Amino acid sequence: MSSSPARISALRRDGSKHLVILFFILISLFPLYMMLEVSFKDNATFLRNPWLPTSPMSWHWENWSFAFHLIVPYIANTVFVAVTGTACSLFLAILGAYFFARHRLPFSGILWAGFLALMLMPSVVNITPLFMVLKSLKLLNTLWALVLVGVAAGQVFNIFVLRNFIEDLPRDLFEAAEMDGASHLQQVFTIVIPMSGPIIGTLAILSFLGMWNDFLLPLIVLRDQDLFTLGVGLIYLDGEYVKQWGQIMAAYFVASIPLLVLFFFTMRLFVRGLSAGALKG
Amino acid sequence: MAAPLSRQKLLREWKLYFFIVPSLAMVLAFVYYPAASAIYHSFFEWAGGDTRHWIGLDNFSRAFHDKVLMGSFLTVSILVIFNLFQMIPSILLAVLIHRLRSDRWQFIYRVLLVIPMIVPGLVTLFIWKFFFDPSLGVLNSLLDATGMKDVLVSLDHLFGWGVFFANAPIAWLSQPALILPSLFIWGFPWIGVVGVLIFLAGLQSIGQDIYEAAELDGVGPFKKFLYIEFPLILTQMRLNLVLLIIGTVGGYGLQLELLDIYGGPGGRGMVPGLWMYNRAFFNGEFGYACAIGMILFAFILLLTFVNNRYVRVDK
Repeated sequence: MSSSPARISALRRDGSKHLVILFFILISLFPLYMMLEVSFKDNATFLRNPWLPTSPMSWHWENWSFAFHLIVPYIANTVFVAVTGTACSLFLAILGAYFFARHRLPFSGILWAGFLALMLMPSVVNITPLFMVLKSLKLLNTLWALVLVGVAAGQVFNIFVLRNFIEDLPRDLFEAAEMDGASHLQQVFTIVIPMSGPIIGTLAILSFLGMWNDFLLPLIVLRDQDLFTLGVGLIYLDGEYVKQWGQIMAAYFVASIPLLVLFFFTMRLFVRGLSAGALKG
Repeated sequence: MAAPLSRQKLLREWKLYFFIVPSLAMVLAFVYYPAASAIYHSFFEWAGGDTRHWIGLDNFSRAFHDKVLMGSFLTVSILVIFNLFQMIPSILLAVLIHRLRSDRWQFIYRVLLVIPMIVPGLVTLFIWKFFFDPSLGVLNSLLDATGMKDVLVSLDHLFGWGVFFANAPIAWLSQPALILPSLFIWGFPWIGVVGVLIFLAGLQSIGQDIYEAAELDGVGPFKKFLYIEFPLILTQMRLNLVLLIIGTVGGYGLQLELLDIYGGPGGRGMVPGLWMYNRAFFNGEFGYACAIGMILFAFILLLTFVNNRYVRVDK
């Protein structure tokens, strides 16, 4: 109880700061409000009353059922790409980082330099020849193309972060494991992975977000509507000539749900992951 | 901890090479090989098929005389300057949140800030496209309702821009002169994905006691920023700027979706990445697109170099 007057006085002294912060946050959240509010209207209602939500009695739920039917297959494709891609990317990166962190074998210095040089290369420059590579591998119009490219693109950053982390793990653990005759693979599974849970989680979220939000590569790789990921699906929807804004906004909202749910369960990793993403430069 | 190995140990540890092989194979196939192929094909006239035709440096000389490409570098430079202004709200917000005395509110605001960020970027983009709509859009309704439009129209009369008219809705994305302003406004208040959180991380080392000491000395809010917070977030500002610049210079998704494949009416929103994409996938000029890619790569490398050289901030 004693803290509550103190809290109120703190709130009063910080009042103007709260106002400014709330102002900015409300503007940032405004697009989401519009998205939700318009998603329950048909075009006629929207034109009459664009700003305020209508009463729940006259909500147009058919917008939402339309959106679900349209978006859920796209979400399934995107989940496949992002989950497979993230898992493979991190597994390979852990092995690679273990290689660099444990011993200095011949050529590992050159290999390391070769990996680091890639950090300078903007991926956008590569998109034209990458398309041709995928074409010659007969990977065009497949989801595997997105998985493979995503895995390759994530290697450098993930190995870079994980190497430093593995080098900081206590050396005694590895030596003890070696005494017991553990192979390198066993050491990875029994020491590295259990001990680097948080950093793997953070990297996984960054990599997942990257693959989830990508639309430039899917746009040139995918042709069949069955294979569309969220990005391509939304672009396709935007290209419709006569726009039913209610349906479109409901579709946008459905497209945002998976990440909102993921965020709800991993809030802490998210905040840390996004801050760590800063170090990517 | 990695130490050179003796010969004998090397014979035992050679299996470790298998650990790097998968990563290496992926990177070679999907990063190094395309990069090499881009360099190689930038000297060819190549429509993407089996036939290619060596033309030496013709692609590059064509690029340097290509008015669209040169204009696109100017556009992207303007967008980079926009980045400087777009960073301000994030800094302001981070400083204000950090100055709050209550840890609970600091956490609540952080969470609220992350929420708009986890909506897919494309969704935000399309909602803004909808906001820009001349007749249905929120932006025009807002300007009408607040009377700002009359101000804009009278300013237009004063300076003779020929852009804003009293009797017609403002055509944000279809009026050439308004393309760049639209690219500036979109995403207001530009609270970036990582921006605020990076700044908050930088501010973490300032304790509440420092503020209290400053208050005892009668230091005002602005001076507090200048002398306490600003020096501490300089490194973060530079980091943030580097990220924004690399993203802006190489990016073209925004222009592709907000405008179109030609950078909107009059090509005012054309950026180098978009022109590369346009040439490759709409004109089948893959060789020329590779050359544009090379030039863009050189440009980004130069910017990174300048940034490291001159924008150095030592703590």
